[in-house]
Parts: sequence; structure tokens; C-alpha cells
Amino acid sequence: MKRLIFLLAALLSACALTPPAAQGPLGAGEIASAHAARAALALGLSTQTDVRKALGEAIVVDFESGYEVWVYRERPVKKAERPPLELVLLFDPSGMLANARVR
Amino acid sequence: MHRSLTAFIAAALCGAHFHAAAADEEAVTVSALRNPVDKSYRRMLSGAELFAQRRGELAPAAALRFKLLPRRPGTRLDDIELELVGDSFATPLPVAHDGTFELPADAAALKERASVRPNRRAGSMTWRAEVRTPGLPADVRRLGDLRLECEVGMRAGLISNYRPVLFRWLDERLADSPEYCRRAVPRYLFFADRALWSVTLVAGTRREVLSVDLLYGGASRDPDWKADLPYCDCEVLMDRAFFLPLGDRSWPDDALVHFEYMDDTP
Repeated sequence: MKRLIFLLAALLSACALTPPAAQGPLGAGEIASAHAARAALALGLSTQTDVRKALGEAIVVDFESGYEVWVYRERPVKKAERPPLELVLLFDPSGMLANARVR
Repeated sequence: MHRSLTAFIAAALCGAHFHAAAADEEAVTVSALRNPVDKSYRRMLSGAELFAQRRGELAPAAALRFKLLPRRPGTRLDDIELELVGDSFATPLPVAHDGTFELPADAAALKERASVRPNRRAGSMTWRAEVRTPGLPADVRRLGDLRLECEVGMRAGLISNYRPVLFRWLDERLADSPEYCRRAVPRYLFFADRALWSVTLVAGTRREVLSVDLLYGGASRDPDWKADLPYCDCEVLMDRAFFLPLGDRSWPDDALVHFEYMDDTP
């Protein structure tokens, strides 16, 4: 019995100390760090192709005017103190990055 | 709003008689004999009455106008004509260059259950109330004004969304009251003057950029937003559309709503 209790205690300790298993690959519109992603982009220089290559597929909201808003979000973390950051990118009708914000 | 209209509203709309008549009028507006783009004068007047009641609390210095907005691609409003139409009369209503107009006090219109009728096809345009405190910069609105704008718009029956699914329609009917605007983040669509890049709430030193989820009708959270577009009166205004946390009273009525636009230089 003592041996069983010791084994259970050891298992529980291991659970508390081991970091959560790594989550799967990032999905469409997900990024690891919004600030790091923003730092890698340049207004007036980065194109849609550049951004897709660097960050992967975005959530795209495109308008008749030719402007597009691309949204990336950090993956939600359980019991996080704040909602995941979002990186919002604005492309002008020529496909050039015109504005960006992290929120 | 003119004092004469306020006095007229007070005289005309007091008592249960009005409420019973308003219910009748709602039944009339779905008749096939009426052009669905029409709005009920009586119901719009009821919105103006609500403005008069709630103005002191939410927007003491503001004025009320109503506004016409395009809904379908290619709809021009610069030469629009608007009339107050009853059974025995049709009175032109002047429309300003910005698409706004004032609702006049008109006893005959009330008696004849008149309509406010633009010379545009059904479904080509939509309507909103506009509550503005004077003296603010062009890219700034006051939150209390917008709270009242929502309440007046709901009471006046200005929202023109048509959805194909019964339960969505039912939900919309349930939402069709000023109380809806006191929800934390009601799905009441406001429209900025130009295509929006960001919306920021400011109260004293507190400053908060709204999530992109509250812009563009929530399109960034809805993969099917384009399929729903024909049923939304935001159809050609998506890039100008935003929601606000109207029911979050931690933001005072004097909080300011700052807009940045897509064509601004960063």
C-alpha cells in the first residue's frame, strides 16, 4: 500500500512540474508572438507574399476598394491573464503593407 | 431637433392610444402594398420622442437627425429625393449633402399614418439615426451620443436586415428595442464616414483600441461573412462598420471614440 501511495505521489509531482505538452503546429491565422511578427515587417516595404511567407496564412477580410485586412492571433493560453494578442495588418490595393498594429 | 417637434411629440404621442396605433402601424409596414424601403413616420417620430426623453442623461448638447446610407453597390444618394407621404398629401423633405434630414412635426402625417419615402428601390439603401454633439473634430464621436443613436435607431425601426433563417429572424425581432443597446456589446452596426483602420475609446487617461473583432461587422471571426452580406444593411459599408461596447458602463458617456482611416498616413 505504501508503495502504491508513493507511486501516486510521484506521478502527481511529475504532473505539477512538467510543462504542458507542446501544442500542435500553428493553424491559419495563428502566430507564436505578435510583437516578434510585427518587428519582422516594414510598412511600405513588406508585400502580401512576404508576409505570407513569414507568418503563414492569415484571416483575410478583403473589401471592394482593394484594401485587405489580415489578422493573426497568438494561440490562446489556458488561464491566461489577458486575451491573446492580435496582429492586424492593412494592405493597400497594390498589395503593400500600409499599416499594422498589435493589440 | 426643433422645439416645435419636441412639443409636437409630447402632445401627439402621450398615452396608450399611441402605443396601440404604433402596433397597428407595424402590421401595415409588412403589407405588399407598401414599398419596403419606406419607413413609418409614426415609428420614426417615436424614435424622436425617445431622443427627447433620453437626451438629458446621455447626450445633453446633441441634436438628432436621420441619415440615409447606401446599401447596394452603385446606389447614389447625392441626388436622392425624400417625401413624407400620406393618403392625401406628399411633402418633400430636404436632404443635406451628407444624407441627413430632419423629421418635421406634422399632425396630418401622424393621423394618416404617413411614410417617409425616398425615390430609391427597396433594398438599395438603409437608414440610421444620427446624434451629434457639436464642436468635436471630424474623426471623433462621443460615446453617449452613440448610445442614444442606437436606442433611437432601434425604436424608430431603422435597421433593415433581412435574414433567410427563421430563428435568426426571430432573434432579430426580439432584439428590436432600445434595451438591446444596453447589452455589453450589442450587434448594432455603426458606420464611420470613411473606411476604418482602427477605433479607440478614450476617457481621461484611459485609452483602449478596440479589437478587430468589433470592426467590419465581426468579419474576422466569421468565415461565412460574405455569404451573409446580402442580408445585412452593411452590404457596401462593411469597411466602415463597427460595434461598440455600449453596455459597458465603465466607459462614461463623455468617453470619446477616435477613428483612424485606411487612407490615413501612418
